[in-house]
Amino acid sequence: MADTLQVSLWRGGSDGRYVDYAVPARESQTVLDVVTYVQRHLDATLSYRFACRVGMCGSCAMQVNGRARWTCRTHVSKVAEGGKLTVAPLENMPVIKDLAADMREFFGKWQRAKGRFAPSKTRNDPVEPIDPATPQRRAADAAIECINCGVCYASCDTVKWDKDYLGPAQLNRAWTLVNDVRDAGNRERLVAVSEGSGCHSCHSHQSCQEFCPVGLNPTRSIAGLKRKSLAAYLKGELKP
Amino acid sequence: MPIERVRTDILILGSGGAGLFAALHAHAADPKLDITVATKGLLGKCGCTRMVQGGYNVSLHKGDSIERHFMDTIEGGKWLPHQELAWTLVTRAVERVRELENEIGCFFDRNADGSLHGKAFAGQTFDRTVHKGDLTGIEIISRLMEQVWARPGIRQLEEHRAVAMIPSKDGASLSGLLMIDVRTGALKFIEAQAVLLATGGGPTMYRYHTPSGDKSMDGLAMALRFGLPLRDMEMVQFHPTGLYGGAETRMTGTVLEEGLRGAGGYLLNGEMRRFMGDYDPKLERATRDVVSRSMYAEMRAGRTTKNGGLYIAMSHLGPDKVRKMFKGMVERCDDCGFDLAGGLVEVVPTAHYFMGGVVCGVDTATERPGLFVAGEDASGMHGANRLGGNGVANSTVFGGIAGDTMPRWIAANRGHRPPDEGVLDAEVARALVPFAAKPGDVNALREKLMDTMWNDVGVLRDRAGLDRGLAALDTIEAELLATGVADGNRAFNLTWHDWLNLRSLIETSRVITLAAIQRENSRGAHFREDFPEPGDLDSSTYTVARQRGGKIEMTNEPVEFTIVRPGQSLLADAAE
Repeated sequence: MADTLQVSLWRGGSDGRYVDYAVPARESQTVLDVVTYVQRHLDATLSYRFACRVGMCGSCAMQVNGRARWTCRTHVSKVAEGGKLTVAPLENMPVIKDLAADMREFFGKWQRAKGRFAPSKTRNDPVEPIDPATPQRRAADAAIECINCGVCYASCDTVKWDKDYLGPAQLNRAWTLVNDVRDAGNRERLVAVSEGSGCHSCHSHQSCQEFCPVGLNPTRSIAGLKRKSLAAYLKGELKP
Repeated sequence: MPIERVRTDILILGSGGAGLFAALHAHAADPKLDITVATKGLLGKCGCTRMVQGGYNVSLHKGDSIERHFMDTIEGGKWLPHQELAWTLVTRAVERVRELENEIGCFFDRNADGSLHGKAFAGQTFDRTVHKGDLTGIEIISRLMEQVWARPGIRQLEEHRAVAMIPSKDGASLSGLLMIDVRTGALKFIEAQAVLLATGGGPTMYRYHTPSGDKSMDGLAMALRFGLPLRDMEMVQFHPTGLYGGAETRMTGTVLEEGLRGAGGYLLNGEMRRFMGDYDPKLERATRDVVSRSMYAEMRAGRTTKNGGLYIAMSHLGPDKVRKMFKGMVERCDDCGFDLAGGLVEVVPTAHYFMGGVVCGVDTATERPGLFVAGEDASGMHGANRLGGNGVANSTVFGGIAGDTMPRWIAANRGHRPPDEGVLDAEVARALVPFAAKPGDVNALREKLMDTMWNDVGVLRDRAGLDRGLAALDTIEAELLATGVADGNRAFNLTWHDWLNLRSLIETSRVITLAAIQRENSRGAHFREDFPEPGDLDSSTYTVARQRGGKIEMTNEPVEFTIVRPGQSLLADAAE
């Protein structure tokens, strides 16, 4: 292990540049710790975002040596190439400053994909009994633990080419709702994810499932949506 | 200095379970109201609701009862809880869980027959903790976020921190909040008819702590300066197993789940000896407070690892089994360079939850008109200790109640109340104080604070240590005021915010210390080595701190046993 890491951090807005720093290497050190060291000891004006420190909030994702990752859960030894680290804000999102990206469009698309539960019951009704072994519940469960960190979105080629594309995390959420028997909004949701730059724009490059830190598979969820969408079209429930 | 001024009807500070529920309920009660949620980080992403691993306590299962949940809460709180608040918590939790499932869209785990699964959690007499795997908080907050994002009528101010409560011109009520837009660095005054304080507590002034990094007790520091009474401020809950990754790493202090000890994990000291038998016959399965105290004593006696921690060992259960049972924990440790399944992981007790907070009523009202409080900023529901699973129940129950109450309150008390301009000017100047001093090492002072609180106001306390802590806090505060932050670019200037965080932490640390001096007995989370007995339950008192003219006054108030007295129970079978 080298004594010092050579770290290049993105500084400024979209017209910014990389600035180099030398950071002492430690045995126990994540990429977030490296960034924190720079702010605490080398340049007090460095901006970045983090919250939970343990991979639950999805606030601290950044591009690390070209790949989107949670910085809080990425040990330096697993990513530093020859003691070098390059850290930049998440791709496919506007830069606010330095390493902090603007996630508003990401969440706006979440809503465009109708990524929210549409209730069919109220708080005055009992909780609906749902057999955990049904295929629908299992499909929903397999995709539900997304923490909306934006790693898949930053890694997606389709998002890069088509700024209107809804995005893997957003479509993955829509898929969990399509499989939620309690939801009353699926007709509308299927229209939302089928039109324009929706699920049919996905080219199945699989970056989302390769890079998802939770191990989810949005590509599979999107394939499920494509099948549902096509079936609805054939039944005349969707307009071409 | 002229600053931007904004008006809204309801201002909600915080976007955890309390803040988001309040926004949804207030919007549903009156969609014409202009509602603003201001949050220090990203909506729903900062704060601690998201970090809930265990689950949500609710008496929805056959064989359980509200009375049983209530008795568990009162006994867990060592007879200090405000009984009406605790009763509200357990009764309204039932409706709130149904609301989470049926209206918000949470998808909790089910039994084979399709009913909600309830898991066992320490200190409870019934398996009532509703959950989604061991990531319940993520499910709750993600679904709440979606519902808030879906309502454009709820305005969002992300990355906005509150710095001061500004009274109305006549001083009688709250006018609004002075805030900093973190992204631009600009100050902003937000005038509101009603304000909800729901910033979350989070005892991050301790060397080892679990809450998210944005937490710095800003809410309680503001409330103190605004003259509000704070109760139970000595009550800091420690969790026994915080990950110990060494110095200068953000992961240190984060929770390794309770279940590791429950499943049969061993705690070892630096001499590789299983030490819990020296302290309690239940060994590692003793309650959180007992295990934390034992670990702290072991560490203080110097029987630590070379890095200063202790070990948790799981491998005797079979590494493959551990990997399967605790997938999330094993992966988390692995990402950070530790082998939980097959090796040893260093752990330390870690400050987890703050039972103390602003005194409030069952409708979330504080003593100052226009100001409401919910979640970890509020107090009285948990008394001397919080049951695992009652935290997220507390924030969502009372957040929803605040959202019901505020529109009604506004209907009865219409209009904005212009601010006291003198106080506003003074608070603007206060927020900019660090730019006037010569830049220095803010983080070194944070380290000092964390050591002081850990060593002198921590898991085991006595008068000499508390007095030492109090003196050290004065020194650290004086040093902070002499330590500046370079004034170049104020946009997204984390070092400025670190400075402001530290000031909030020092101010609340002082109240914790004074309250710990005030309580001369040992209850729940508060342990005095010089007063190790719990004291008479029938004459139980709780501490109240209030700042008047720059001085903090402490009083003891008698606990009112309005529902049940020590020695009694609401359960028929327990009364026999």
